[in-house]
Amino acid sequence: MKKILGIFGLLVFICVMTALMSDRFLTEFNVENLIRRTALFGIISIGASFVIITSGIDLSIGSVVCLIGCLLPWMLVEKELGVPLSLLLVVGISLAIGLSHGLLITKMKLQPFVVTLCGLLLYRGITRGLVQDQTQGFKSGFSTLRELSQGQMPLPGTEFGIPNPCLILLVVAILAIIFLNFTIYGRYMLALGRNEEATRYSGINTDRMIILAYVICGMLSGLGGMLFVLDVGSAQPVDFGSFYELYAIAAAVLGGCSLRGGEGTIIGVVIGAAVMQVLKNSITLIDWIPTNIEYAVIGAVILGGVVVDELVKRFAAKRRAMAQANQ
Amino acid sequence: MKYLSGISLFALTLALAVAGCTKSQSGGSVSSNTTAAGGGGSSAKPRVGYVTNGVASFWVIAEAGCKQAASEVDANVEVLMPAEGISDQKRMIEDLLTKGVDGIAVSPIDPENQTELLNKAAKYAKLITHDSDAPDANRLCYIGMDNYTAGRMCGKLVAEAMPDGGKLAIFIGRLEQDNARRRRQGVIDEILGRSEDPSRFDPPDAEIKEGKWHIVGTYTDQFDRAQGKANAEDAMSRHPDLNGMVGLFAYNPPLMLEALKQGNKLGKVKVIGFDEADETLQGIKDGSVYGTVVQNPFEYGRQSVTLLAGLARGKSLADLGVPADGFVNIPARQIRKDNVEEFWAELKKNLGE
Repeated sequence: MKKILGIFGLLVFICVMTALMSDRFLTEFNVENLIRRTALFGIISIGASFVIITSGIDLSIGSVVCLIGCLLPWMLVEKELGVPLSLLLVVGISLAIGLSHGLLITKMKLQPFVVTLCGLLLYRGITRGLVQDQTQGFKSGFSTLRELSQGQMPLPGTEFGIPNPCLILLVVAILAIIFLNFTIYGRYMLALGRNEEATRYSGINTDRMIILAYVICGMLSGLGGMLFVLDVGSAQPVDFGSFYELYAIAAAVLGGCSLRGGEGTIIGVVIGAAVMQVLKNSITLIDWIPTNIEYAVIGAVILGGVVVDELVKRFAAKRRAMAQANQ
Repeated sequence: MKYLSGISLFALTLALAVAGCTKSQSGGSVSSNTTAAGGGGSSAKPRVGYVTNGVASFWVIAEAGCKQAASEVDANVEVLMPAEGISDQKRMIEDLLTKGVDGIAVSPIDPENQTELLNKAAKYAKLITHDSDAPDANRLCYIGMDNYTAGRMCGKLVAEAMPDGGKLAIFIGRLEQDNARRRRQGVIDEILGRSEDPSRFDPPDAEIKEGKWHIVGTYTDQFDRAQGKANAEDAMSRHPDLNGMVGLFAYNPPLMLEALKQGNKLGKVKVIGFDEADETLQGIKDGSVYGTVVQNPFEYGRQSVTLLAGLARGKSLADLGVPADGFVNIPARQIRKDNVEEFWAELKKNLGE
C-alpha cells in the first residue's frame, strides 16, 4: 500500500497540474481517451510485471504486440479465416510464444534477457516477412469486433461511458490480484522471485511457476496487441508496438515492482501505466510545452517523482527511528 | 486488507474521473465547445493543429510555413510530429480535438484504415489533409502534390543522367505509405517508358530488366538512417557495376553520398535524389548529384494554416480559392546544377536563416 502511494501521488499531482493549466483536460472526451490508452498499456504492463516478479524480464512484448497486431487483420482481411478461427490462432500463438520463452529459460537455463531479446528480433522479423512489410488493416470492416476496443459501456444517468478496454483491464487486474495474493501459486511466484533456490528447496516446482509467468506475459502481450490494432485500425509491421516493452517495464517498475524480483502490486502497475499516458497527454494539451521535448519531460517528471518518493520515505524512516529512540 | 484498500483507491480514482467529467459537461463537451469557438466569429484567433507523419527536416520547413501563415492571417498554430508511428498520430489528433482546435491539417500515415479517426476529427473540427491524401474520409480538401507525377519527374532526371541506361538501385524509407509507393512507381514507369498508371505496383525486391535498364531492387530502411546507409553500401557490394542510385526520401541521398564517399565511388555512380536535404543540394553544386525533385513543404504548411484559419472564420472553400475537386496542387520542381543556387537561397530565406 505504502509502495503505491508514491506513484499514486505522482499521478494525482500530474492530473491536478494539467487540469489547472488546461481547461480541456477534464473534458469527457479526454478522460475517455486517457482511460482507453491507460487500459491498453495497463494490460501489457501487468504481463510484464508477472515476469518481473519472478526476477525475469520480457523484452519481446512490443514485438508480440506487432506480430499479433499485424496477424489479426492479415488473417481476417487477407486470408479471410473468419473471426473465431483468427482469435483462436491469436490465443494459440501468444500461448506458444510465452511457453517457448518459459521452457527455454527454465529447461535450457538460458538468460531471460537473451531469450526475449531474440524474441524481440524474431517476431518483428517474422511479421515483416510474412506480410511483406505491408500495412495490415481492417479496411473499415469488422466493426463488431472492433467494438472490443472502441466501444464503451454507458454509465446510466450520464453521457459518459467506460471504454471497453478498461473493463477488460479490470477483469485482468482482478484476476491477477486474486492469483497473486489469494492463491498459493501466486505466493510461490512472489517467493521464488525473492529467492529461487530457497523456494525450490522448500519443495516447490519453481520451473513450472516461471513458465507460467512467461505464459501469462505472452498471453497479455497478445491480448494487448489485439486490442491495440482493434483500436487503431491498422498496423505497420515496421514500427507497430516498438518500445512498448519499455513502457510496460517502466510502468511495472514505477508501480512498485522490483527488477530484482519478488515484489509488485497490480494496482501500482496500472497507475504506473496511467502516469505515462497522462504525461504524454499533458504535454500536448499544455500550450507552452514544446512537443518535441516530450521524452525529456516524461523522463524528468518520473525521475523527480521517484526522487521525492525516496526522500519522503527516508524522512519518515528517520522520524520513526527518532521517535523510537526518544521512548 | 492491503489490497482491499488498494481496490477502493482505484475505485476512487475512477469516481473522481467520472465526477470530473460530469462537472465539465456543464461547461460543455468537446463538440459544443468547438462550435462555440467557431460561432465566436472572426474576433477570436482561430486555433489550428498541423499533424505530420513523422519527425523529419522536411517537416521543419513545413513548420516554418505554418508559423509564417499564422502571423499572416493572425491564427494560433500548433505543429505536432508523431515519433512513434500510427498510434502516436491517433493520440495527437485526439488530443487536438480535446483542446478544441478549430481546424486540423493531417498527413495520414495509413489513410485507408484511418477513415474512422479522420471522420471523427472532421466532426469536431475543420479537417484537411496535406502531403498524403485520405480520399475516403470527410476531409474538406487535400493540399499537396501528385506523387506519381513527381516520381515521373524524378524518372526524367534519371534518364537524363544516364542516357545509356544501366544498373540502377532505388532507396526509400518505406513502401507502406501511398505517397511513397506512387513516387517509386512514377520513377520506374518513366524510365521504362510505360504509360501513366499510378495503380501499377512492381514488387519491391523483384529485379526489373527491360531494354537498356536493369533495376536491381528497391531497398527500404524504415526511417532507420543507419540501415539506410547500410542499404546503400550493401547494394554497392552486391552490384559492383551499379551505375545509378535513386534516393526517394529526403534523407536517402545524403546517406547514399556517404556510402559512395567511403567506397571511393563518388562521381562514378550517378545519384538522383528527392527533396532538399542540404547535402543533396551541395552535391548538385559539386556535381556528385545529378539532380533532385523538390516538393514545397513550406507551402504545405503555409497553405494549410491559411486555409484552416479562413474556414474557421466562416469562409467557404470556393472563397478561399480551392478548386471544386478539392485538390490544391503544389507542384514539384526539378532542381539541377543550373537552378540549385537560386532554389537554395529561397529555401534559406523561408527558413529564416
